[in-house]
Amino acid sequence: MRHRFIPLLLLLLGVALPVAAAEQAASPFFPYPMKVDRLPNGLTVIRVPFNSPGLVAYQTVVRVGSRNEVEPGRTGFAHFFEHMMFKGTKNHPEGEREKVIATYGFDDNAFTTDDITVYYSYGPTAGLLKLVEIEADRFRHLEYSEPAFQTEALAVLGEYHKNAAQPGLKMEEELARTAFTQHTYGHTTLGYYDDIKAMPQAYAYSRTFFERWYTPDNVLLVIVGDFDDDALMKAVNEHYGPWASKSATVTVPAEPSQTKERSVHIDWPQSTQPRLVYAWHSPAAKLDTANAAIQAVLADYLVGPTSPLYKELVLDKQVAQEIGSDFSLHRDPHLFSLVAVLQDEAGRAPARTAFNAAVKELVTGKVDAARVEAIKSNTRYGLLMQLETAKSVASQLAWYAGIYGSPDALARHSQKVSEVKPSDLVAFARRYLTAANRTVLSLTPAPAGGQK
Amino acid sequence: MRSLRSSSLALLAVLSLGGCATTSRTEAPPPAPPPPPAPAQVQAPEPPAPPTTVPAVPLQKPAPARLIVQANPANPIVSFRLVFHSGSVDDPRGKEGITSLAATLLSEGGTQKLSSAQLLQTLFPMAAELGSFTDKEFTVFEGRVHKDFLSPFLELFTDVLLHPRWSPQEFERLRARALSDVRNGLRSEDDETLGKVALDALVFQGHPYAHFVGGTEKGLESLTLEDVKAHAARVFTQDRLVIGLAGAVDEALQRDVVSRLSALPATGAPRVELPPVPTQGGRAVVVQKPTLSTAVSLGYATPLRRGDPDFFPVAFALSYLGEHRQLAGVLFNELREKRGLNYGDYAYAEHFIQQPGTTYNRTNVARTQQDISLWIRPVVPANGLFATRGAVYFLDRLVKQGIPAEQFELSRNFLLGYTRLWEQTDQRRLGYAIDALFYGTPDYLEQYRAALAKMTPESVHAAVKRQLRPEALNFAFVTQDAEGLVKQIQDSAPSTITYASPKSPALLEEDKTIGAKPLPLHPDALQVVPARVFMEK
Repeated sequence: MRHRFIPLLLLLLGVALPVAAAEQAASPFFPYPMKVDRLPNGLTVIRVPFNSPGLVAYQTVVRVGSRNEVEPGRTGFAHFFEHMMFKGTKNHPEGEREKVIATYGFDDNAFTTDDITVYYSYGPTAGLLKLVEIEADRFRHLEYSEPAFQTEALAVLGEYHKNAAQPGLKMEEELARTAFTQHTYGHTTLGYYDDIKAMPQAYAYSRTFFERWYTPDNVLLVIVGDFDDDALMKAVNEHYGPWASKSATVTVPAEPSQTKERSVHIDWPQSTQPRLVYAWHSPAAKLDTANAAIQAVLADYLVGPTSPLYKELVLDKQVAQEIGSDFSLHRDPHLFSLVAVLQDEAGRAPARTAFNAAVKELVTGKVDAARVEAIKSNTRYGLLMQLETAKSVASQLAWYAGIYGSPDALARHSQKVSEVKPSDLVAFARRYLTAANRTVLSLTPAPAGGQK
Repeated sequence: MRSLRSSSLALLAVLSLGGCATTSRTEAPPPAPPPPPAPAQVQAPEPPAPPTTVPAVPLQKPAPARLIVQANPANPIVSFRLVFHSGSVDDPRGKEGITSLAATLLSEGGTQKLSSAQLLQTLFPMAAELGSFTDKEFTVFEGRVHKDFLSPFLELFTDVLLHPRWSPQEFERLRARALSDVRNGLRSEDDETLGKVALDALVFQGHPYAHFVGGTEKGLESLTLEDVKAHAARVFTQDRLVIGLAGAVDEALQRDVVSRLSALPATGAPRVELPPVPTQGGRAVVVQKPTLSTAVSLGYATPLRRGDPDFFPVAFALSYLGEHRQLAGVLFNELREKRGLNYGDYAYAEHFIQQPGTTYNRTNVARTQQDISLWIRPVVPANGLFATRGAVYFLDRLVKQGIPAEQFELSRNFLLGYTRLWEQTDQRRLGYAIDALFYGTPDYLEQYRAALAKMTPESVHAAVKRQLRPEALNFAFVTQDAEGLVKQIQDSAPSTITYASPKSPALLEEDKTIGAKPLPLHPDALQVVPARVFMEK
């Protein structure tokens, strides 16, 4: 706990005092000191002083994503709602916020994933206090008309069209639909095409969505850069302090255990390269387990650039152009995957054989301890390489804090990666990388010349 | 084209409010059309008369192996940036793609001491980055490493250039990847890039800029390993090189790097003489492929480039019209926000290639002959022509009316802040410093901000009227119903648009004006190209 001097004026304004505060020193797992306050309304405020003279990165993490889209026909809504957050309030009607952003020159945008939605602004410290004011205003008082809502739905449709030319979107859709029978991870963040086309009719639901999830206890602020912490926190307390609502509880259906291998095939109507995906159900990212850290290491171990599989399939035999994993941290159990972009269809069988052999070798207990250490070194130095700007530091903190739900998650995840042992990979493979727990996706392009 | 990435803690792909840019390419040029008719609403620009060609005024030539240092002892990361004034313009005819492939083979293909696999294994524990990027006139070799590994990394980084492995197996692998990038990536999987590359090919037809930097199908197929080896020796030479170092750099490291790189050939191929580019507008290429939407790029070649007195005011005006991936531009607000036409709409005063992971232009993609362009992200086909007319309409309005006073101040303030974000990493600071050597524009971003402070609406408008010419626009479309689009263009009928939600009378009235706006397109200068043969040779 940290003693804070609270100006009398704030008390007179009835601004709530922080109920929890903490300071975290720099460590090998996150090389900067960090301050964390939790306001009485549940809002978490993470700050990191960073040598970026005159610049600050400001990110707002809402712990909502496509995972929260539990109602049928409402897929893609977390992402759509991210767009609506730019549509104004009574105090700052549509367009007014953009004027403030433009006045200071902030790089300002947002993104949505399966689990979180992040709003970010990166720019001059001179605009920080004004930014706090307008950000708090839109999170507390968002207001948009039905016509504006309907117009924005078309921009989301345009985003789908933009992505639809790539096989990746279709693959993501089909893999999710096949691997998940109950859980909302069964649809993509962008949502089903039909649901996107129907979005303009869902104005009332959009308000429900906002009220459910855009609440202080479901939000973390991450501020990194060159700023006066006392002035910042004074503004945060003033503008966010009165925000009073509680996040809803909805039941995200648990995914039942998979008992039999599943497969899905895509005939891609245009020219592309064949693909092969192995995806196993795998555990969630939780701070009380090493599961996410083990999967992060395992992805590099099996299909990273120094893996025997990479050497065999990509460099030596050249049956695959690329291999990798789409594994990423998730709040709920998701998928651990191996992916191969094949040179041609003839590479499919050798790739499957090689994937199977690599997994089998691990399951039998054969593991290269030196490669595990190299991966951990890569992780440690990779993080240091990525923390180059205030924005990149804020982005990393926001990502891990958003998924894990804890301000210090980046450091704790990094520490867990450093503690992964070769035997952890073996145990994980034995438990999860089984045929019954696997979904296999294949994609075959149209024959050459088959494109119109 | 690809770079080795450090792993594990990388952020995954996500959906964002705001997309992605890329490189360029060409096709067999269509027959030269007659000049387009002057559209009724487009007034002739003020004297002097617009140029009929963009001459190739050479970029400046820094001293061979010129060293640029931005030391920062507090930073534990060391950045290396080797920039060669060599790019796809150096590809011999029939061997398109050779410069890019040579750079990739150097950066990924191993060294005499280390196979490609061993190179990866050595770099991996360091999380070091080593990659290359080729554009029309420049190739960059980038390296980043934590100072804990400086010594071994320095040897690797210089060995890839000085002692490459030239493995036949790696040559075949990387050529196959480059071919796939053309056959699949370019032609099939990214309509937005395809549109941009098609516009480049149209505007610069017959010019060394015309072909895709990654190569043509026939060009790549024709290459041999010996071709690539010889080409690398001809273009990656000291007389074309600028060396950039940043971060934890001391004098010993500077001496070491310069000494090592002195082993590169001193000279090689003569510089390619770039021909003048006709400024002719009114042409269109329609790339036909199966797709849900219509992607549009429009633009023209311009003599305007950094260092020209008009460049800063025009860059400012086009930022106001549509700063890349930002929310305040006129095009973004009018076409996307108010009308819901698509995902975004932007404008550029010089060629723009988005640096991955940012919304900023790459550094070291300088060009002798530049282009001014607008980008309309995919639109439902029924609205493709309306959106195109909209972009031209708002460009035309900018030329006729300039920037309103209130927006002028906002846009100026925006750039005074936003440009600072462009120089927040060592690699980008090095990139700007190196670009400044070639353009002759020292302290480029500081100069930009100083110029912004002095601009007035009148001074900007005067530069805009001198430099922005809607009648000079050329158009690239990527769509499924190419014939239908061509017919729409040739019919010259007004474009109508309907909305699923109520719109203001003023907007609907403006829509009529937009829909009736003649596009500066000559009906005989329309060419349809099937995507499957795009960049074939």
